[in-house]
Amino acid sequence: MPIVKLYANLRRVAGVQEISVPAASLKTLLSALVTEIPALESHLFEDGQLRRYVIITINGHHVTVLDTELAEGDQIAIFPPIAGG
Amino acid sequence: MTGWAEKILDIDLTAQSYTTYPLDMEMARQFVGGRGLGARLLWDLVGPDIDPLAPENVLIFTNGPLTGTGYQTSNRFSVSTKSPLTGTILDANSGGFWGMQFKKTGYAVLIVRGKAARPVWIEIKNNSVAFHDAGELWGLRVFAVTERLGQSNNQRNVLCIGPAGENLSRMAAIMNDRERALARGGPGAVMGSKNLKAIVVEGSERPQIEDKDLFKFMLYETRKLLAASPLTSQALPEFGTVVLMNIMNNIGALATRNHQQTQFEGAEAISGEELTEKYLVKNASCWACPIGCTRISKTDKVEGEGPEFESTWAFGAQCGIDDLPAIIEANTLCNDLGLDTISAGSTIACAMELSESKYMDSDLRFGRADLLAPTLEAMAYRRDVGADLADGSLRLATKYGHAELSMSAKGLEFPAYDPRGMQGQGLLYATSNRGGCHMRGNMVGPEVLGLPKLIDRFQVQGKSSFVILHQNSSAAIDSLVLCKFTNMGVADEYFARVLSAVTGVQYDTGDMIKVGERVWNLERLYNLREGFTRKDDTLPPRLLNDAPTEGPSKGWVVQLEPMLKEYYRGRSWDENGVPKAAKLAALGLAGL
Amino acid sequence: MIDPRICEMFREIGRDLFTSGMISSHGGNLSIRLGDHLIIKRRGAMLGQLKPHDLIETGIEKNDSGVALASTELLVHRAIYLSTPALAICHCHPRTAIAFSLSRDELVPIDNEASYLLKKVPVVTEEFASGTPQMANKVANALKNYKIIMLRGHGSFATGQTLDEAFHWSSTLEESCQIELATKIINEPFIEYRGMSESYGKF
Repeated sequence: MPIVKLYANLRRVAGVQEISVPAASLKTLLSALVTEIPALESHLFEDGQLRRYVIITINGHHVTVLDTELAEGDQIAIFPPIAGG
Repeated sequence: MTGWAEKILDIDLTAQSYTTYPLDMEMARQFVGGRGLGARLLWDLVGPDIDPLAPENVLIFTNGPLTGTGYQTSNRFSVSTKSPLTGTILDANSGGFWGMQFKKTGYAVLIVRGKAARPVWIEIKNNSVAFHDAGELWGLRVFAVTERLGQSNNQRNVLCIGPAGENLSRMAAIMNDRERALARGGPGAVMGSKNLKAIVVEGSERPQIEDKDLFKFMLYETRKLLAASPLTSQALPEFGTVVLMNIMNNIGALATRNHQQTQFEGAEAISGEELTEKYLVKNASCWACPIGCTRISKTDKVEGEGPEFESTWAFGAQCGIDDLPAIIEANTLCNDLGLDTISAGSTIACAMELSESKYMDSDLRFGRADLLAPTLEAMAYRRDVGADLADGSLRLATKYGHAELSMSAKGLEFPAYDPRGMQGQGLLYATSNRGGCHMRGNMVGPEVLGLPKLIDRFQVQGKSSFVILHQNSSAAIDSLVLCKFTNMGVADEYFARVLSAVTGVQYDTGDMIKVGERVWNLERLYNLREGFTRKDDTLPPRLLNDAPTEGPSKGWVVQLEPMLKEYYRGRSWDENGVPKAAKLAALGLAGL
Repeated sequence: MIDPRICEMFREIGRDLFTSGMISSHGGNLSIRLGDHLIIKRRGAMLGQLKPHDLIETGIEKNDSGVALASTELLVHRAIYLSTPALAICHCHPRTAIAFSLSRDELVPIDNEASYLLKKVPVVTEEFASGTPQMANKVANALKNYKIIMLRGHGSFATGQTLDEAFHWSSTLEESCQIELATKIINEPFIEYRGMSESYGKF
């Protein structure tokens, strides 16, 4: 199962630093994540779209395409928008 | 003309006298202030025949036309000199309150020449300049001196050196307002070599603004932009610059154990999140700054400003140490001794590797948090192992036969970003005019944070364009003088308009970037005159040849050659990195 | 050899330009700077369907063989790289913005996004608005101080650090003009909602 690691103020918002989320693609993972932790929704999404400048890495590599497929043991790191404006 | 203070104060410590004369306004238009103006003046005053620690070297303190106007972050100021650490041109800039007060004395520039016969400190109060005997202050640490001389943030500001500067450590910083630092490249040693302990300023002149309506509009828009940018309105105030620790580690670009690895297993323990949760008292800010990135941290032993990301990294990942309280204490100690944290931490790390490899004999080993404080003390006083470390990692590593283990460029130690995980940063380090420095065009924006847009950190082709732009832009901002964190929410076009509003001189965005380009090229000419060549635009073999064996940056080394070739062409320099005549003429540098 | 990632960027932005109606089949242009070279669309290529061989690399200052193949608008792109800090250029034909450029000397957005990001967009005019040195210099000069400008009756020129940044300004401008067009149809008194809005024209 992919593991999601949360950083900065997302930890406070979610109440956890790390959570396992079963999902085959990044899109489904994010959906499942905000279903599991509704408080994260407004920090990650705006009008149904992923907020600009949320930084997501899979195994340390930036991803911007939500349809990216996930493999077993993938580590997804989510950093809140700490850029842009 | 409005905006600029219009006088230069020129102090001769040998004769213990001073003169004042007008600032050349044409030079001011071309170079603006801060780093740019300092570079131009240094060009005339300090040539290749002068040793950085000789009385003939000068310290040039500068402010800019925006300083003290109240525009966001208009508190910063700069010092220019020839670096005792690298031998290159050096400028260092600092925040806090001293710069604002310095502007209020009515001087755009303070030049300090010569050497006092005995330790002195200088007091500048508007038109009066007094020399005081510093016999009782010499030997005191920064915090004590700052208090003794009457530091009061908005009224009277103290700039001084600590024991590191007095003992001519080539990594010595000049400190202001207690814990702000003109840190890199050893300006503190230059000040120490002049027997100058402190400069205290008190002023009452109010900076004038030409177009008050446009200025007001820019203040308003900037406030909106900084509030809207999550970096400046949330991440930095809440977590400080240390917020970068986990990100850099996650992507495999956090230099660890003297750049032997690119990820640190203890990153979480020294992260911004950890700092905020366990050791943060509150955040604080410099004068006229709404961002508030300064940390006030507390452990059982100390309470003070900091630590910043770089400082935390230098004593943390770079030394293989995950003991955050020890790191916080090391940072505070550096502030009190007057030492640059990046160079100090990285030099200790170099000594750790040299010792573990048995090239040198000392107790230093990666992970020995208990040795941080004693080693720093030893460095400031040149005692025991500190005598070897006091002058930086390159001299240390060279002495023990392994210069390649100094993680530096042109002798200045790199900061946290391991360029094997950020190609553009590698090019930046190799070409920065003051040596391995990130503040000269930090690529963390585009390559990591997506500011303004994300670019592929491993892409090589086209990368030089970004480095050139960021170098030029940073040089312009350093000449205004503003804090680069404003640039993380506010684009360059705003700075051009603010500069025009304050001075009444028309600068468009292109003109502003051109000021930066002009400064960059002048600094390059300075270094060429000092004897630096293309072969100094390089990185240690470890970064060029030894790819990380694990993590996201696995398999990558810095592809410097192709980037450098493209970079020289992009800057209109020849294949030896010498600016072409046409380019110099276009920048108004032909006569030099 | 152009890095495939660069080709991909051109392809994606080119396609977005076409599908969002910002260009006709063969109109518009994209370029980026590489050192003292630039990469630009081949003459006659369609931005909405770029293939790798549709991208030409050529000198910014010096002519080389690439010049023969590059777009006719090479001149203006070169002028922009020579006189501004641009790293990428997006030139397109945003319909509503062009319509407004026919009766105004500057476009000052009234919607939130564009007034926040753009503030003001100057309109420059040139008798022969295609491929001449005069037009190139006029456009380049205007872009020294603004990140996007309109060439009357022709289209927009936007600069940025990346193609997607330049595209961002272009797309925002067109959206802004469409909103203003809609207010003309709605034809009701404008309720000012922004602070210091009278200053936008001074930007």
